[in-house]
Amino acid sequence: MKQLKNKLAAGFVALFAFGTTPVIADETCQSPYMPKITGQEEFVYVWTLGEAGVGDESDKLVTVDVRPESDSYGKVIASLSVGGLNEAHHGGFSADRRYFWAGGLDTNKIFIFDIHSDAAKPKLHKVVDSFVKDSGGAVGPHTFYGLPGRMMITALSNDKDHGGRTALVEYTNEGDYVATYWMPTAENPQGAKIDSPVVDGFGYDVRALIRKNIMLTSSFTGWSNYMMDFGKMLKDEAAMKRFGQTVVQWDLHTRQPKKVMHVPGAPLEIRFPWGPNSNYAFTTTALTSKLWLIHEDDEGEWHSKPVADIGDPSKVPLPVDISIAADDQHLWINSFLDGMTRLFDISDPHAPKQVYEKKIASQVNMVSQSWDGKRVYFTSSLLANWDKKGADNEQFLKAYDWNGKELIEKFSIDFHKEGLGRAHIMRFGSSKLYSS
Amino acid sequence: MQTVPAGRVFVNGVAILLAGVLLIPGSPLQAADTKSSWAEEASRRASEPVLGLPKINHPEENQPTPGKIALGRKLFFDRRLSINRTMSCAMCHIPEQGFANWELQTAVGVEGRTVRRNAPTVLNAAFYRVLFVDGRDTSLETQYIAPLVARNEMANPSAGYVVELLRSLEDYRGAFEANFDGGPSLDRIGKALAAYQRSLIAGNSPFDRWLYQGDERALNASQKRGLGLFKGKAGCVSCHLIEETHAIFTDNAFHDIGYGWWREQQRQTPRDHQQVEVAPGVVYPVPHAVIASVSEKQQPDLGRYEVTQDPDDRWKFRTPSLRNVAVTPPYMHDGGFAQLKDVLRFYNEGGRAHDGLDPVIRPLELSDRDLRDLEAFLTALTSPDIPRLIEEARTAVPDNW
Ligand code: HEC
Ligand code: HEC
Repeated sequence: MKQLKNKLAAGFVALFAFGTTPVIADETCQSPYMPKITGQEEFVYVWTLGEAGVGDESDKLVTVDVRPESDSYGKVIASLSVGGLNEAHHGGFSADRRYFWAGGLDTNKIFIFDIHSDAAKPKLHKVVDSFVKDSGGAVGPHTFYGLPGRMMITALSNDKDHGGRTALVEYTNEGDYVATYWMPTAENPQGAKIDSPVVDGFGYDVRALIRKNIMLTSSFTGWSNYMMDFGKMLKDEAAMKRFGQTVVQWDLHTRQPKKVMHVPGAPLEIRFPWGPNSNYAFTTTALTSKLWLIHEDDEGEWHSKPVADIGDPSKVPLPVDISIAADDQHLWINSFLDGMTRLFDISDPHAPKQVYEKKIASQVNMVSQSWDGKRVYFTSSLLANWDKKGADNEQFLKAYDWNGKELIEKFSIDFHKEGLGRAHIMRFGSSKLYSS
Repeated sequence: MQTVPAGRVFVNGVAILLAGVLLIPGSPLQAADTKSSWAEEASRRASEPVLGLPKINHPEENQPTPGKIALGRKLFFDRRLSINRTMSCAMCHIPEQGFANWELQTAVGVEGRTVRRNAPTVLNAAFYRVLFVDGRDTSLETQYIAPLVARNEMANPSAGYVVELLRSLEDYRGAFEANFDGGPSLDRIGKALAAYQRSLIAGNSPFDRWLYQGDERALNASQKRGLGLFKGKAGCVSCHLIEETHAIFTDNAFHDIGYGWWREQQRQTPRDHQQVEVAPGVVYPVPHAVIASVSEKQQPDLGRYEVTQDPDDRWKFRTPSLRNVAVTPPYMHDGGFAQLKDVLRFYNEGGRAHDGLDPVIRPLELSDRDLRDLEAFLTALTSPDIPRLIEEARTAVPDNW
């Protein structure tokens, strides 16, 4: 116990040391601690799942050149295989943006790529393969959220039953384990205020609002569900009962859970707006197809409420990734099963309205936009065993320009034709970040 | 080490208290494993008769010892024994879920691969003369090889690979030698796993105290009526046996009760829509075409026929024991029934009529009250010893790299 406390104390020192000189921001969806690319991004890194019968079948980090003047614009310029099928999923930069951490939801490996030595050609710097053991049983490293000197990682599952109960796990930038913070549960709320009929202890995303000292986590499902055949799961009544129904508010500095809010239907990505007075965040529930607002009231208390439907919820379009514009006026929302992207006007966060929609492909998962909102990128893969089968299993990175009225395609890379696999999370790179 | 109760868990409306063990990192007692004492108790349990259960037939060459049981437990919880370190036996046979899996109708193995069948409990597996629902193995000493090398379970490239792995793992050094006449081998891995599983004995239920000990208050009136129906009008006892001195609730034989055949019809002609519960109480009909777009092809299950190739064995499945059935949902070989009520309704309707249906299975004309009483009886088969077995199972955290 004492040992743990000491580690925690060290964490606070590191946090405050960096925290005094915050470098606000990044292209719209990332940790506010990190330097941001406000101009033209040069590269898009795509954390890609290996796929049976495609290329070397291995998970890989794919680098795409997006410098408009470059001869290789819109082309894959590097591909770094890490070996195996790890259920590549999400990844995030360290707060100094020199390293890209990417996780494997199945094998629990964490791959740390050096992206600063040569931004056009990432190198594998280190592999952490002791995540489950380090954390004391957390499974499925998912979101990598850069805090000063630290990486905050959400897990999705655990090594006791592969269900949804899980934890936040903190590492140093060097890849050393610091601490595990288990999600509050009905049996052990850890002092959190309970404002939900269900306290599931599940996890998914994490985002922070520094000036409010607040961290929010969302809740998805455990290993058994996210690994299994999607169709099999939809038919399995027992499995369908195991989806997250909560968003938890944490104290960012002490890492203590403060409040458990009710958000049924598997809330996934969390996005805080950038405005200095915007005390709210958005999340979408994958199964119930709703946009939710997590907002602070006049008394400083945080609440959750649904504010819009995404498509026709009864058709289960399955909203997945979202991307908030830097001016807080618009939110892109992808939905996987209908392959659509929708743009919502969120100028009134309590009453968002859809203003545009476009079918991207037979399936679509991730969406990322440039800081100025003029370029929007899409990728296809959700989870290896959830992706569509047969001809509908299109795998791609598609780049568009957004002119305020419509998306205009600039290029598209077929990840099957290129022998790469299933394209998942995208992150932007630029050599200019590292030239002093 | 600090022990905290993991709380009450409700299954089929019955509350059972499950003991959990929470390890607080860094606390001084963590190293002080109570291994020897729990394993001694487990070994005693495996050697002496437990109320309501027959004496276990331990193979001559694999008599239980505390050391073998402790080693078997470690193997059972070792996630390193699968190709990519994600699956142990206990990831499918979960102690806190009745040594089965409440969260899935059918199991999921390495890389999320589909298993056609429900993960049954390993409690009291010692009493089966035929293992698996199709009876393809007969001994716990050899059964483990199937999940170990099945591509959709633990997916090891070969059984020999696992032997080599155990020889190389530091924390197994000397463990086999201390309990057997040599180091890791296929034979000895099987013996250790079998010894542990034969210690997972859960009898001593209210039913046992009533029938074999004469404790009148152990069963309530509804449960007694339920037992009457079970042995009488409902005819359950002809397959789920109750004997004079003990009851294992299985005849270790194979029967076509119409369930497997019915599920095959459903597989071949799926409904237009699948009702999907997207959040508690929110159900949407999802078109079959949408489900199909994200589904692999569903495999058929012919039961005993797959072992014998005898057409008479199509859709025959081994009778499962009903001990602890209230804490091992979902039910049937593919977990297709969520609740005992569903199973009882199925029997009351006479199973599903077709050629080959076991003649014992017929419409029962049981009233709602009869069904309630039968269900009440089935919940009286739960052993009070399960929390202790969970505690033993969790004497150490699962092995990970
Ligand atoms: C991927 C999930 C999974 C894993 C891992 C797994 N099992 Fe099982 N187990 C099952 C399923 C499903 C069945 C039923 C299969 C059948 O009857 O064909 C089963 C059946 C059994 C049975 C037979 C029970 C009965 O009623 O006949 C035993 C004993 C058993 N498993 C022990 C083990 C051991 C020991 C291991 C580890 C070496 C293990 N299992 C690993 C899913 C699993
Ligand atoms: C002809 C033999 C037979 C008779 C009679 C019979 N059963 Fe069964 N029972 C089986 C078989 C075989 C299965 C397994 C079927 C499967 O998995 O497909 C089974 C399964 C069950 C299960 C599910 C157990 C589990 O863990 O999945 C329950 C509960 C059950 N029976 C209760 C009853 C009751 C109550 C009756 C009397 C109304 C009854 N049975 C009569 C053979 C029989």
